[in-house]
Amino acid sequence: MYDLIIFLVLLTIGFTFGRIAEKRHFQSIIEREEELRDILTFSERLPPPGFSSARTELVSGNVVISIDYFKRIAAGLRGILGGRVTAYETLLERARREAILRMKEEARVFEATHIVNVKLETASITKGQHNQTGCVEVYAYGTALTPIKQEPEKS
Amino acid sequence: MSYSNPKIPEGINVTDEHPLKDFAAMLLGIGLALAAIIFVLTLLAGYLVRYVPFSFEQQLAERFSEQLPASENSPEHQQRQEYLQKLGDKLARAQQLPEEMTITVHYLEDDTVNAFATLGGHIFIFKGLLDRMPSENALAMVMAHEIAHIKHRDPMVSLGRGLTVSLAALSLLGAGDGSLAQSLVGQISLLTTLSFSRGMEEDADQEALQTLARHYGHTHHADTLFRILQDENQSQDVPAFFSTHPLNEERIKAIQQYQSEQSPKSLETVPLPAWAKPE
Repeated sequence: MYDLIIFLVLLTIGFTFGRIAEKRHFQSIIEREEELRDILTFSERLPPPGFSSARTELVSGNVVISIDYFKRIAAGLRGILGGRVTAYETLLERARREAILRMKEEARVFEATHIVNVKLETASITKGQHNQTGCVEVYAYGTALTPIKQEPEKS
Repeated sequence: MSYSNPKIPEGINVTDEHPLKDFAAMLLGIGLALAAIIFVLTLLAGYLVRYVPFSFEQQLAERFSEQLPASENSPEHQQRQEYLQKLGDKLARAQQLPEEMTITVHYLEDDTVNAFATLGGHIFIFKGLLDRMPSENALAMVMAHEIAHIKHRDPMVSLGRGLTVSLAALSLLGAGDGSLAQSLVGQISLLTTLSFSRGMEEDADQEALQTLARHYGHTHHADTLFRILQDENQSQDVPAFFSTHPLNEERIKAIQQYQSEQSPKSLETVPLPAWAKPE
């Protein structure tokens, strides 16, 4: 009986705080994406054609997000029934977009206009450990291109 | 070829559906499936248990033998224990208990007016019960009732049901955690009074009456315990264990019904040994 009460309390805490955190995060992601919209990112290996000389820089963004208790249980139930694990889908979406944003923020420091060869890597921090809340890490990296201002040719 | 990063609409990778809705649907689905399984298992338990050998039940009980109360060495205790064991063996024969089944009677120094049967043929008789019995016949009725539970494999059925329910609860809570089996084993306890259904109790009563008729030639004093309990009920002192039993009144009626169908030659009761007389 006490187990059930503890379980329900954890579930409620997990759901409430998890939901608030997720909402805020998505809001912030959407706002910052708008701010950094002018930095263009591509998975293409080479700069866009016609791109003249530029300084290149490795930029990266890294994020770790933990699942909450509610998501863990919901995903566990999904593990029995099968199907889309929506609880994890939102988590990974947040992590991916946040990682790209952080990478773009770094590129902003270099006054880059483009990032090419963007790659994403995902890792689970808690691997194969039972009874432990899982964390997901997403790492985004790419090559930032900063155009070199051409000195006006002296005539 | 122009390169651009257009604004991507929200909701492609993520659904707008409220997570609680999804959760409730899953919980409902699994809950219904489990309920169906429990229902079927509960119905089948009585039939399936016949295919579980009694030796398995004994092995199971042995694992929890450290939970058994240490037998006291006082000569008085041993005398009572021996007497109860002998009576139990006699009644088991009268009840035609299958040969592979053996009963072990334990005498507990406790004032509770109670007796119960559990896994592996263990029967517990409390001092409180023995003290209140006016004759061996009355005591034999209680013991025959407990032996009947063992003969009918009721402890096993009850355990099976209990395990199914806790398995269901745990699988919902743990949602597939590896610790499931461990928690289950922890829940088995030999000394926990297994709850038997009303039907089981009624069947055990009938079996006990037949045993008494076979052993003593009559069923006089068979209703003594129920009358005692009835009196206690009226004085608001309900023993917890018997609250799950069929109403004492109904049981007395069933016994009277049985008695009216019999025509014994004599109603002579066997007295309890002198030491068992309450002072």
